[in-house]
Amino acid sequence: MHDMGGMHGFGPVKIERDEPVFHERWEGVVRAMMVRTIGRYYNLDEFRHAVERMPSHEYLRASYYERWLYGVQRLLIEKGVISSSELAGGHAAGKTAAPARDREQAPALNSRFRAGDRVVTRNMHPHGHTRLPRYARGRHGVIRSTYGPFRLPDANAHGDHDEWQPCYAVEFTAHELWGDEASSTDLVCIDLWESYLEPEAKA
Amino acid sequence: MSDHDHHDHDHDHHPEAPSDIEARALALESLLVEKGILTSEEVDRIVSMYEHDIGPMLGARVVARAWIDSEYRHRLLQDGPAAVKELGIGYPEGTRLVVVENRPGAHNVIVCTLCSCYPWPVLGLPPTWYKSPPYRSRMVREPRSVLAEFDLRLPESVAVNVWDSSSDVRYMVLPERPAGTEGWSEEKLAAIVTRDCMIGVAVPRVPAEAATR
Amino acid sequence: MSVDRSIAYLEGDAALPRKNGELVFAAPWEGRAFGLAVLLSDKGAYAWDDFRDRLVQEIAQGDHPYYESWLDALQSLLMSRGVVSADEVSGRAAEYAALERDPVF
Repeated sequence: MHDMGGMHGFGPVKIERDEPVFHERWEGVVRAMMVRTIGRYYNLDEFRHAVERMPSHEYLRASYYERWLYGVQRLLIEKGVISSSELAGGHAAGKTAAPARDREQAPALNSRFRAGDRVVTRNMHPHGHTRLPRYARGRHGVIRSTYGPFRLPDANAHGDHDEWQPCYAVEFTAHELWGDEASSTDLVCIDLWESYLEPEAKA
Repeated sequence: MSDHDHHDHDHDHHPEAPSDIEARALALESLLVEKGILTSEEVDRIVSMYEHDIGPMLGARVVARAWIDSEYRHRLLQDGPAAVKELGIGYPEGTRLVVVENRPGAHNVIVCTLCSCYPWPVLGLPPTWYKSPPYRSRMVREPRSVLAEFDLRLPESVAVNVWDSSSDVRYMVLPERPAGTEGWSEEKLAAIVTRDCMIGVAVPRVPAEAATR
Repeated sequence: MSVDRSIAYLEGDAALPRKNGELVFAAPWEGRAFGLAVLLSDKGAYAWDDFRDRLVQEIAQGDHPYYESWLDALQSLLMSRGVVSADEVSGRAAEYAALERDPVF
């Protein structure tokens, strides 16, 4: 449900002028819990995947920090940091020291593509986590710049933390993504990992 | 006092008398409240707002410096985190910041369709609309309609570049310096750079009274 | 709020203590002192630059922790404007120090 790029039917953007940072105190508490536990008990990709596993009907109804609470709670239970019975009872069974944050350095890797290369994105539909948005699958684009390497989210969300890949800012025309009705001048740039990309076949 | 010894790690309790400086802060606040100058709730609100929402002013300083110092602008576009740190603004290690520059024929705007990635070290926490399904679904597909809802109408001659922050890279927009700001101080320039300008759903505007002065 | 910008321009020794860009208060009273100064300027009790000048002076004068200088600057500015008197503040502070008032922020 999280993969929203291009979806129809959400209506206009509701812009709240001068909104407070947190609408209610519990939102700040949820943010603080996430900030204190990420990088210790779980990584960002695992967190994103946990939020994405929220049932669609709940995801859409939930506010931003309700989704975060769902993700944090689910991961802390899955990782054995808290138990369901502790959660239900409202009391910790005991104390544990927090592990240190993961600060591993990226390895040096050669990049397959360079700026200006024409590429086509894979048309893949994995069951697990990925950061290749649906609207950009099977599309032709141009490499704009190279980043990373970063851990591959598809692996990192599922326990394989050693898969690193270069990542690229890839430029697509609005025409390529949305068809002829789109503006002929507009572009969308998306950061995509190397394994999401194939070189474009020579004409 | 001894009643409270078992609480001595818990600073939310105030078993001991406040320190001199603490007593003086309490004294000032209570006097100002009694005089009807302010309320404690107003102070609460300011404190929590600034504790978490200090961000956009930091980004605005970066933009203002880039406007008046072209070499700084160049460094900012080359290496965002290093340029931000030059101004004494903290930027967390290991995260990337790419600053994308608006030009006369190209306008940039930031979105995250998959979640709500946002350059919080320079912009603070994102507004609710940035995290909402309408913004996330529509900005990539119909950016001009969404920008119009923010009262930003761009001619066809200006290309819209949408940046979907799908990786560990965070993006921030460097807006164009508006006409009519020649000779302004850095501080005065920063005051017209709003959070929305650095997300790309607005452009800096010269306030009417400043333009006529 | 226009004063936001001014706070971002407290520079050098006068720069606010921060961590990852966010303000940090080591104790609740520091947050209160910060909030008081910002709020009073918003309400027009003084121009922000007047507060900033005093803060810079206080910091230059001694080797005090940041928010002690902040509170000194605020108090002296309010006294110079006749908003509070030295006796009022010291009298009230003594009541708090003697636990005659409930010291809850």
